[in-house]
Amino acid sequence: MNEISLLQTALLLGLYVALAGSYGLVYAIARLHEGSILYRISFIVYGLHGLTAIAIIVWTPLQAGWKGLIVASSAAFLAIPPLTWRFLQRTHETEVQG
Amino acid sequence: MYRSQQLALKYLAAAIAVFGVMTLAGLLSAYYYINPDFLFGLLHFNIAKILHIDTMVIWLLMGFMGAIYWFLPDEFDSELVGIRAAEILFYVFCAAVAIVAVVLVVIQYGSSDETALWLINQGRKYVEAPRWAAAGVVVVMLVFAYNIIGTAFATRRITGITAVLMIDLVPLILLYLIAFPAISNMSADLFWWWWLVHLWVEATWEVLIGCIMAWTLMQLLGTSRRIVETWLYIEVALVLGTGILGLGHHYFWIGTPNYWLTIGGFFSALEPLPLLGMVIHAIYDAGTHHMTTTNRPSFYWMMAEAFGNFLGGGVWGFMITLPQVNLYAHGTQWTVSHGHFAFWGAYACGVLSVIYLVIQKTRGLAHLESTLWKWSFAALNIGLVGMVGALLVSGFAQAFVERAIGGSTHEAFVAGQENRWFVEGMVTRLVFGLMFAAGYVVLVWDLLTIGRRVPALAAAEVAE
Repeated sequence: MNEISLLQTALLLGLYVALAGSYGLVYAIARLHEGSILYRISFIVYGLHGLTAIAIIVWTPLQAGWKGLIVASSAAFLAIPPLTWRFLQRTHETEVQG
Repeated sequence: MYRSQQLALKYLAAAIAVFGVMTLAGLLSAYYYINPDFLFGLLHFNIAKILHIDTMVIWLLMGFMGAIYWFLPDEFDSELVGIRAAEILFYVFCAAVAIVAVVLVVIQYGSSDETALWLINQGRKYVEAPRWAAAGVVVVMLVFAYNIIGTAFATRRITGITAVLMIDLVPLILLYLIAFPAISNMSADLFWWWWLVHLWVEATWEVLIGCIMAWTLMQLLGTSRRIVETWLYIEVALVLGTGILGLGHHYFWIGTPNYWLTIGGFFSALEPLPLLGMVIHAIYDAGTHHMTTTNRPSFYWMMAEAFGNFLGGGVWGFMITLPQVNLYAHGTQWTVSHGHFAFWGAYACGVLSVIYLVIQKTRGLAHLESTLWKWSFAALNIGLVGMVGALLVSGFAQAFVERAIGGSTHEAFVAGQENRWFVEGMVTRLVFGLMFAAGYVVLVWDLLTIGRRVPALAAAEVAE
């Protein structure tokens, strides 16, 4: 890894997680306000996260195993916000009913 | 008010005082980077750095203990067993911290013998306190554990949160014992030392703050016990699942076998996943309460904790956690940037949230509000983000110039230190450090006066 690819790789990795967080943030706000535009924005942000993942896979000198982990993490990042939200709703609803 | 809650107030006040010492030592350490001759021959950078880091550990520990002593009597509906011993040990603890600080500043170092180890400095990073003080910390923690476990069995009230807390106390105390042995093989020493440093911070402390935040949520937002306990189990399982073997990212370059590169990188890379779940949880709580609460300072600090943890631990950590990047980034200001952000987000914001909650209860205010908390919140958070941003730029310069181009030679080290980006990053860090310090001053003033500046309003609110 040379000096340029070092900075590129690190910044892409940081951006990768930051965009995953931004997706989660916008997704949760969309669920709160039931806003279809916000939903779309959340998936646009996730798309940017996906593009960052592709950039990491194509441009960085990381070993193949780490690139595989990036792909698997992207799938997990996609699922975490809706799963967490659904579980939160369920626990709160059963509390109200109880 | 229970005696243990009075003790909690003392611990929280002591925590804020030590937070101030940490800030001062941090400013001093930051200034050395700009003027390395400062206090030459009197007080070295190393001592200022030791004070900065050790007081950070102490103020957070005191904050955790204060929070737990505050919440536990309500949890058990009883005074804590052995509270007299805890009250005495509080003063012993404070005196020990003060003596260690004075010894470190005045005597600084001894010769390489047992006497220096016992009385001056153990010489192990982050646990430099001499052995007598380290033994004192063990005694304090044992009494702390006795207070909790003894009361749980005496009252026969073991809730989900207290069960998690009691289990957590065992590794919390056992891991601290690693502070004592003086292993001469550096690889073996670092191997075990990281158990203490990493597993305290990314395992046992995570569980402690999880328990504290569970109680805070119940009192602040009225969230039911069943919900917070369910989430506590899930979050603790996820954080421990990734955090324990995430220990491996400290084993990359200390002479341990190669398989730690895979183990450490893999589990560290998973660490942002539960943090994202926490962010979603925070937004859910904030949204369902329409950002309204009777204690906005506490609520906002709790929100800052969720986001700060994700940014500092998740984003900043992920940049440097894979071995190929970590080879260049470890030990630079880049990791310092990550450390500052992660500690602030994961722990400091949580302790400040609890302190505002406790103030509301002790001053009998139906609503806790002021203008000053917003100023301190803004100055502390902007100051902190500014510092970590500046440290990040300096760290980039080091990794780029010193490591990747220069190949970590002595000349490359000097070139890195003299690089314009590094120097300007250090200056900017000091400027934002001053802003952070100003935020601390406002915070202290606000904590002393909030709810007292408008007594008539407060009384009216209580009457309502």
